[in-house]
Amino acid sequence: MPPSIDVLRGTLDLLILKALSWGPAHGYSVAEWIERVTDDTLVIEEGSLYPALHRLDERGLIEAEWGLSGNNRRAKYYALTAAGRQALKSESATWTRYAQAVFAALSAPASLKPASV
Amino acid sequence: MSARKEPLWRRYLRFFGPDVDADVEDELRFHLDMREQHYLARGMSPAEAHAAARKKFGDFARHRRALRRQDGRRLRRIIWSDRLGEWIQDIRYSARLLWHHRGFSFAVIATLALGIGATTAIFSAVDAAMLRPLPFVVPDRLVELRNVQLPFAPRGAAEEPDPRPNLRTVGELTDIYSDVAAYAVGGLNLSGIGAPLRIKVGVVTEGFFRTLGARVEKGRTFSPEEGRPNHTAVTILSHGLWQRQFGGQAAVGQSVRLNGKAYQVIGIMPPGFRFPQGADLWIPLTIPMTFASFEPFRGWIPTVAIARLAPEVSRAVAADRLRVLWRALPADQLQEYTGVIAEPVRPLQGTLVGDRRTPMLILLGATGLLLLIACVNATNLLLAHAAMRERELAVRAVLGASRGRLIRQLLVQSLVLSLAGAAGGLLLAYTTLGLVSGLLPQEMTELTAPALNGRLLAFAIGLAVVTGLGFGVLPALNAATTDAQSTIKSGGGHGSTAARRGRTRRLLVTAELALALMLLAGSGLMLRSFSAVLATDPGFVPERVATLQMTLDRTSYPRSGVRLAMLQRLLDRLLGVPGIEAAGVINDLPMSGVGGISIQVEPEEGSLKEPWRAARYLKADAGYFRTMGIQLLQGRLMTASDDSLAPAVMVVSARMAREVWPGQNPLGKRIKLLDPDTVGWRSVIGVVSDVREKPDEDARWQMYYPITEDSPSLVAVVVRGTLPEREMLSTLRNAVQAVDPSQPIYAVRTLAELRHESLTTRRSNTALITAFGALALLLAVVGVYGVVAYGVTLRTREMGIRAALGAGRADLVRLVLGEGMWVAVIGVGIGLIGTFTLSRLLQSLLYGVGASDPVAIAGAALVLLVPAIGATLIPARRAASLDPAAVMRSE
Repeated sequence: MPPSIDVLRGTLDLLILKALSWGPAHGYSVAEWIERVTDDTLVIEEGSLYPALHRLDERGLIEAEWGLSGNNRRAKYYALTAAGRQALKSESATWTRYAQAVFAALSAPASLKPASV
Repeated sequence: MSARKEPLWRRYLRFFGPDVDADVEDELRFHLDMREQHYLARGMSPAEAHAAARKKFGDFARHRRALRRQDGRRLRRIIWSDRLGEWIQDIRYSARLLWHHRGFSFAVIATLALGIGATTAIFSAVDAAMLRPLPFVVPDRLVELRNVQLPFAPRGAAEEPDPRPNLRTVGELTDIYSDVAAYAVGGLNLSGIGAPLRIKVGVVTEGFFRTLGARVEKGRTFSPEEGRPNHTAVTILSHGLWQRQFGGQAAVGQSVRLNGKAYQVIGIMPPGFRFPQGADLWIPLTIPMTFASFEPFRGWIPTVAIARLAPEVSRAVAADRLRVLWRALPADQLQEYTGVIAEPVRPLQGTLVGDRRTPMLILLGATGLLLLIACVNATNLLLAHAAMRERELAVRAVLGASRGRLIRQLLVQSLVLSLAGAAGGLLLAYTTLGLVSGLLPQEMTELTAPALNGRLLAFAIGLAVVTGLGFGVLPALNAATTDAQSTIKSGGGHGSTAARRGRTRRLLVTAELALALMLLAGSGLMLRSFSAVLATDPGFVPERVATLQMTLDRTSYPRSGVRLAMLQRLLDRLLGVPGIEAAGVINDLPMSGVGGISIQVEPEEGSLKEPWRAARYLKADAGYFRTMGIQLLQGRLMTASDDSLAPAVMVVSARMAREVWPGQNPLGKRIKLLDPDTVGWRSVIGVVSDVREKPDEDARWQMYYPITEDSPSLVAVVVRGTLPEREMLSTLRNAVQAVDPSQPIYAVRTLAELRHESLTTRRSNTALITAFGALALLLAVVGVYGVVAYGVTLRTREMGIRAALGAGRADLVRLVLGEGMWVAVIGVGIGLIGTFTLSRLLQSLLYGVGASDPVAIAGAALVLLVPAIGATLIPARRAASLDPAAVMRSE
């Protein structure tokens, strides 16, 4: 089973921000990027990407603009705003600390086992 | 320009694309298509690629729905916050603009504050008297049982047979009335601790508190036994009296002395309960009612019967059942009660408001007219102001402000003005609350008072919004339909719009004059009535007469003889004072607001259309008539020898003599009171002139018994003299002091004061309507001046040309005057039609004049026309003094 919704949502937001840090992109390319860089480890239902995108747009972390795609179709492009860039920076720091902490705990040597009372 | 015609919110739609739904569809479709192409490129068949893309996407319909909802919410939020922003912008812009034009703003706000303030003030009385529920439990279930009396057993034993429904028979209808009660109000002397105190006493049946749903704070209410004749004297105190007399200490079980008699305190009511008429304490009214119930008072006092409707019983059903009882009356009595049978029960609130209802509603109507006039004036001011701003508005329109936005901005401006007016009006209403409470009937004082409450606030704000939109809409539309380009080109203010605006303004002023005339005619009718009332002959000469009242209580003055001896000593002493010409005593003064003590009479011979008739029952000595200047028309007055041993005699009023014995000599004729307690037949020894009980009410039948026969305990002393008013009053006071230092006195005043007080209601009604009329006059005259002055400004150039072409000053004055005259004459003409239609509504308030009294109405027209025409003279003179050369140069 995937991790809890909250973790997923927070993580998804972070991944979207990261995806857009390379430049404006439409929803499909964000999805594709996530799939590619995580080697399909994170299974994300692609449809759930869009509410996240629109929410980030509403929060002002990214902004949307209609444009033409490579194959000349009307597509909605998302770009990171200054606030979004800031959020990406602090969120990834937080997330990294969190992951390192969990990892440290999981790989702790046996000598550090909990004291028995 | 066409793009700007698009509604504002469409711009936000373009921010997302054509619309939210389509945008979401496009975005998601694009994703699916890209994914499908990706799979196709990897070698899947089209069908497989399609299915795989869908699978990877998840539930398409669900995601689409969620996304549309999310975006829709966001769009609405943006639209609303944007609208709010625009409103705030408009309000700030208006406020800045109005501040810039302070003079104009002040004029509009002051005008509206007058209108809204007057209306709100009168509404506060209507609110207190009619809209706010009475402070009882479920007050809308309380009704008055009209004309229902208590069963009557004069001496507490055998009841008088009476076929009319009484409180007991109605009380037996328990399925209709869950409780019935009766009450009366009187005054007594409270003695014991401290100085004797005159207090208001509620005489109430045992079920009174239960019917109203009132509970005691301490102790208990009257028991059924205490509600029967010959029970020990008990009383219930109001919270206030308990605090004053006992300092809040334990009082239940103690006793208080009322007119010298001890009453045991059995209960104390909570603060705020003072019904009826602000009672200080309550004593039992027994069923059956006996003479003993009213012994402390000066005789019978009128009772009011009330009931609480049983649950689920409508007032109509309750009335029907009571009607059955009334219809059972013998045929000869039925006729007298047709009014009661038509409406046997009515809401208690309606009973308490009584005949004050009509004046209150008339005053509210008058303030409505005043408010309308204020609105018309505000419209006019706004139109003039809009003319000044015509260029500014045109520039804004050219710079891209949409028509809707301009209209809205102008409406916001008028709303800001009217709300400021409402604030001023509320302040005005608040300061007049005390005055306005004079409009409430005495029955309702202490029960409810006009107050600034939520409803009043809502009323004022409602008025502000309605008037703001009302007076703002015309100028706003007017300004917004102006052709911007031509306005700018022409230099503004002189084009065809100006002419059209002038027409609108003349129309408004005409309407204003018509409305003002109606109010002024109302004032005129009220003033004429007032002077007619003042001119009525009260039947006595109020000048140079001083009076006081006192209760000779049964402890110090147990018998009539003792009381008479005291009164005689008092009169002797008074007559011995130099400057005192006459002195006398009576049980009840006219115009003192009592008026209700009447008993039924039966003449031996003579004609009475109805078998029963009420007559005023008075006890006086001969000195009373001399002091009051009441003329003896026939026969003789009573003398000291007409005492309890002499044959029973009386003096009657002229009207009574005339109506009971038409065309006969009333002297020696006999009459019987339907009161078994008093002597049987009583013969007429004299006829005196009629005395009015109220200045605006015809004299009733009056019978004067010799006071020497049996002195009442409550008496009024009257003296006439040549001393200054102040000395007269102190002479009177000192004389009582000298005869009995411990005797409490009250109501020490001159008869003229008494008469003045009896006119309070009429005076305040007249004063209010007249004040409204005067305000209307002022507003209308200002309106006329404004419109004519504006007309002159517009036609400055035309006047200049006319002057240059040789028109004389007189021609120019005539030109301008003509314009004002027409407006004034047409306005007054329309107002006259309105007056003749509406003045009938005033009928019930009028006295001695008809509703279409030509003097009052013509007077009002004149009072309006003269200053209105005068107001046009000022701009006319200005027009006449124009220098044609200067005018031509300035263009």
